[in-house]
Amino acid sequence: MITRKKEQVFFWMIAPSFIGFVIFFILPAIMSLGYSFTNWSVYKVDFNFIGIKNYLKLFNDAGTMAAVGNSLRYAVIITIIQNTLAIAFSVFLSKKGLMVNLVKTVLFLPAVLSILVVGYLWSYMMTSSDSGLLNSILHTFGMGSVNWLGNANIALYSVLATQVWQWTGWSLVIYIANLKSIDGALYEAANIDGASGRQVFLNITLPLLYPAVSFNVLMSLIGGFKIFDSIFAMTGGGPGYATETIMTTLIRIGFTEGRNAYSCAFAMIFFVIVFVITKIIQFLFSKWEGSVL
Amino acid sequence: MKKILSIILIVTLMTTMVTGCGAKKQEVTTGEKKDVVKEKDTKSEEKENTAENVKIRFMGYNSESSRATYLKLLEEKLPNIEVQFEFVNNDNFSNILNSQLAAGNAPDIIEGGSDTKLLANAGYLLDLTDQEFVKRYMDVGLKSFSVDGKVYATPLQSWFQGIFYNKKIFRDNNLEAPKSLDEFIGLLADLDAKGIKPIAVGAADGDILSKNLMGMALNYFYNTEAGNGFDESFNKGEGKLADNWTEASKQYVKLMEKMFTPDMLGISADQAKDEFATGKAAMFSSGPWDVNILKEKNPDLELAMFSFQGETGKTGWLIGGTGSCLEINAKSEHIAEALQVLDLTATAEAQAALIKDNTGSSYLKGVKVDMDPIYDDCQETFQAGNIHAPWVGWTAGTPVWQTLCKSLQEVLAGTKEIEQVLIDADEKNSIILESIAD
Repeated sequence: MITRKKEQVFFWMIAPSFIGFVIFFILPAIMSLGYSFTNWSVYKVDFNFIGIKNYLKLFNDAGTMAAVGNSLRYAVIITIIQNTLAIAFSVFLSKKGLMVNLVKTVLFLPAVLSILVVGYLWSYMMTSSDSGLLNSILHTFGMGSVNWLGNANIALYSVLATQVWQWTGWSLVIYIANLKSIDGALYEAANIDGASGRQVFLNITLPLLYPAVSFNVLMSLIGGFKIFDSIFAMTGGGPGYATETIMTTLIRIGFTEGRNAYSCAFAMIFFVIVFVITKIIQFLFSKWEGSVL
Repeated sequence: MKKILSIILIVTLMTTMVTGCGAKKQEVTTGEKKDVVKEKDTKSEEKENTAENVKIRFMGYNSESSRATYLKLLEEKLPNIEVQFEFVNNDNFSNILNSQLAAGNAPDIIEGGSDTKLLANAGYLLDLTDQEFVKRYMDVGLKSFSVDGKVYATPLQSWFQGIFYNKKIFRDNNLEAPKSLDEFIGLLADLDAKGIKPIAVGAADGDILSKNLMGMALNYFYNTEAGNGFDESFNKGEGKLADNWTEASKQYVKLMEKMFTPDMLGISADQAKDEFATGKAAMFSSGPWDVNILKEKNPDLELAMFSFQGETGKTGWLIGGTGSCLEINAKSEHIAEALQVLDLTATAEAQAALIKDNTGSSYLKGVKVDMDPIYDDCQETFQAGNIHAPWVGWTAGTPVWQTLCKSLQEVLAGTKEIEQVLIDADEKNSIILESIAD
């Protein structure tokens, strides 16, 4: 039975981390909110309160809205593809065996690499120059070159594909851990009742994967919205603004152009978008959890 | 026992957190006498620092190899000053510098350029007007780095960019350096017809596209009456690219259709450099800073350069002029040492060291440079003084340049018209000027 005295000990134990969280996250967020109502710029140290002008400019800025659209599209698609693949792989790799362990390792290995290193490596493999590995493979099969990172219509998806390759293994590990926690008796009972593989997956496996699914979907969505490193390494937001995302636009406006206050306003909008989407996902998954239990 | 252990652990964790905040806070909390003692100690430490090695940070966007001889000279001539050179790629330089300036931990010496006026207006740079070494430079070299008559940076060697060509490929195919835009376009077609890749272009960051637009602007606008004084009116938000660069933009589109292809958007500048160095392309637009790298990749490469061409019968232009400069962080703790570096840089010996690794001309009075034979085809351009980089003197140079790069990528991709590019650039200029207005 936890007493008040023991609660106090727990409180003091988490106090250092909590203080760090307040100093390095909460306070800067509050300060950003404050700065977003000013005209502070790196090139203009004395700033004034300007109300909601930054927010009004944001909603009228086609480039900024396009970046939000790109981020939304990227986050949704990578969440669907990454988790679908991870669930499928986890079901196939839930058995024991040497080859199974080897495949799991191979799938997980990319997640260990630095995102920037992966981005630069893939940018060389996807280049349109003669040295591009992917196009060389296509030529071997008699196909023409593809402008993977220079075609505005597919550049974002090219980057997305590399990230699916890098992070599916990460989600896979979490799904496998959840799968192992499902009671084997349920599968035995289903087997006895003559359920097909599809019926077993849809009625037993998938519903009982809800903890891993809700965690991975949320993490994939938030990670998708925050994408920066791989875009920076592979396309720099180009060609043009085709792969500009919320984070690349934030960096460009805030640092290259020095418009810190405007960038803070954009960060606030970003926070609200992610917060709302997170709440919606949590609500939907809590409904699903209720139906499973 | 458990309670005592918990308390010890908590106290240890809290202490390590507070310790990380540094000695300064401890100084604040000590008594006055201890503060006085600390001040005296600090002053004596400072004296010791000037007598022994003082470390100063020097952040630049030209690679260390292009500054090697100069940095070695600093080490020899200023034994008490340890210059820690930090190279930051040009793509990220503004981002990193601006964040360091905002955080108050910017380097002591900054290799500046198109941001100098913005930084000076914001009070980040030391006023160098009254320094003796400033008088050793030509006024034309100081102009881009001056605000309201005050000098905030001293120029390094001038820079220039033209179009390198592979002399062997040209010789083997009986080709010559072009003397007009039409000849250049004809050259591209000739090489293509012979199955030779005419020019290696890495348009992934848009820089080469903007440089070619600049080349057209120099040939078709800046050499006209309307071009005089345009940059000043652009800085006031009065002159507009959309109203003035119409002919230049038309010529750019004419050139773009023969010179660039959409697949070049998927090639980086480094990959294009490799293509040219290994003889897979006949031409490559760049400047002296790449000569050593190209020769390292291919020691047998026979290089030459011609300038950006315009109307028939008129001398072409090189993009360049006052390139980078040396600025001193106004809040540096080693201003005296930083001034010593700038003082030494304003000598013939230092200028020669700079030019040795990165060819250009010097803005120091009385210094003459013998150009490498690589640039023989550009002699007429040098003699006519046709070297200019408009955006270096623009107040909002970097943001406008970046907008041009991105919008020109969209033109090459077929999703934007050239007229909109100039409108976008004008709009960005207005936004930045408005953001720094009083």
